Amino acid sequence: MKINDLDNLSKKYRKQLFEKFLLTKQGHPGSIFSMMEIVVTLYYGGYVRFNKKKKIFKDKVLISKGHATATLYPILRDFGLIKQKDWNNWGSKNSLLKIFGNISIPGIDITSGSLGHCIGAGAGMALHYKRSKIDKKVYVIISEGELYEGSTWEALLFAKHHELSNLIIFIDVNSLIILGSTDECLKLDPIQKKVEGLGIECFSIDGHNISEITNSLDDIGSQKKLCCIIANTIKGKGSTIMEHKKNWHYWNPMSKEEIKKTREELKE
Amino acid sequence: MFQRDIFIEEITKSLKKDNSIYFLSADFGAKALDGLREKFPKNFIHCGISEQAMLDIATGLAIEKNKVFVYAMAPFLSLRAIEQIKCGPGLMKLPISIISVGIGLGYADAGPTHYANEDYACIRSILGNSIYTPSDNFTTKLIAQDLLKKPKFAYIRLDRDITPNLKPKVSNKDFYNGYKIFGNIANDKIIVISHGKIFHDCYSLKKNLKDNVVFINLFRSKPFPKSLSKKLKNVRKILVVDEQSPGGNLGSCVFENLSENKIFPKIIIKSIDNIYVFENGGRRYLLDKYGLSKKNILNSINSF
Repeated sequence: MKINDLDNLSKKYRKQLFEKFLLTKQGHPGSIFSMMEIVVTLYYGGYVRFNKKKKIFKDKVLISKGHATATLYPILRDFGLIKQKDWNNWGSKNSLLKIFGNISIPGIDITSGSLGHCIGAGAGMALHYKRSKIDKKVYVIISEGELYEGSTWEALLFAKHHELSNLIIFIDVNSLIILGSTDECLKLDPIQKKVEGLGIECFSIDGHNISEITNSLDDIGSQKKLCCIIANTIKGKGSTIMEHKKNWHYWNPMSKEEIKKTREELKE
Repeated sequence: MFQRDIFIEEITKSLKKDNSIYFLSADFGAKALDGLREKFPKNFIHCGISEQAMLDIATGLAIEKNKVFVYAMAPFLSLRAIEQIKCGPGLMKLPISIISVGIGLGYADAGPTHYANEDYACIRSILGNSIYTPSDNFTTKLIAQDLLKKPKFAYIRLDRDITPNLKPKVSNKDFYNGYKIFGNIANDKIIVISHGKIFHDCYSLKKNLKDNVVFINLFRSKPFPKSLSKKLKNVRKILVVDEQSPGGNLGSCVFENLSENKIFPKIIIKSIDNIYVFENGGRRYLLDKYGLSKKNILNSINSF
């Protein structure tokens, strides 16, 4: 797919998810919108390999920031893993789709929600593939907030020690956590220097720029060591009402005017 | 031989024909582990002193359909990594065996940071797991063989010390049931239930007692054996002895499971006193001083 197409797909999915937020009156739009281009590029840019016949993905995608797993739902629907009726049913009492993803949902590779687990789990998978000579990759997307969890650093140490080149870690840096900016709450910067301090090669990119995402993934593809992509993003990307707003971590009630405005902004 | 060596030897034997086994350690060793590491380096993973990451790594390995064993000291594996245990093998029903060494005051005189007095209560609260607390090497071996054959989410509580073999030993039927009865249960008898090393202290009192006391070695307390509830249906006096803190120990387990079946005997629970033990003197001395002397257990039996 061309870069323009990936951009348009990202917009389309943001719009569709916005309508779901409106319907269900719950979810985490800020975090979902900040990582949209990353997952669209992974799935439609040919990085997460799909076996059409078997209808399964060869590679794994672990959304460690589990509150944003719903970003994958429309993608998995369009790949035919999530049924249209389950997508339509999202929000009802017996809905298969939930705010937080779990492995009962087709195409979701891990049950997540609690932060700080998926680099470790991804490292376990990646080490198994490496030792068993299995050609598979694991993409893990964590929020920068997960850098507050000790288990994240434990797992990074482990992944570096084993030089897991088949484990690709995205850190979604939108600079906001629930109570405010990371700078004000508890400083994380300089994230890149800290991760590089472990000996991990980092690529710092604009997480909404498809070209930068693809270039970094292509560069990593040829590396024989653990790499990490620091994706600088905007929380709530695409909606001026939500962008850079900490309170849009969660869904908030919207006036008719706000809904109209957001729909306009999210138009493909 | 230590229980941990018995367990690891069984894993090493299986590795000869099963390459899907991974053994993870958080920098915790054993004589038998040296052999496993040497013979099967690809199946051994050193996770550093990182119990939380170890459980997450185990989760990833288990999602990929491997048989996974994680191994560390009981207090750190159980309490420090409990959320990883819940979110990995718990929520995803993954067959990870958690081998926890040094339960109770096993690490005397290291002090309360190294005592695992709460591990049973904590891990029992996680859903979907089986909990084993063997009292001897033979039972330990059976547990290892069973988990290798039929992997599941299990928490295995091994003692730090060498434990003598129970006589008569646990039969295949006992193992299937999850407990071994020493004596014949009758309504008017006193039933003493325990597990792990402290069971030996209880059973050693037999010589001081009349025939009205029956001992039950409950080496698999979760899921609680249904057949045991049936057998205890009409008994009136039960003493539960556990080398744990007062809250949530084996006594709670017995009470909760019997009451669920509308069985309400008088239950006395003997555990370590409600205190963090800082004192030195060795495990025996500390047990004697802090609630679990043999005399104290005997007095409890005689108090019915």
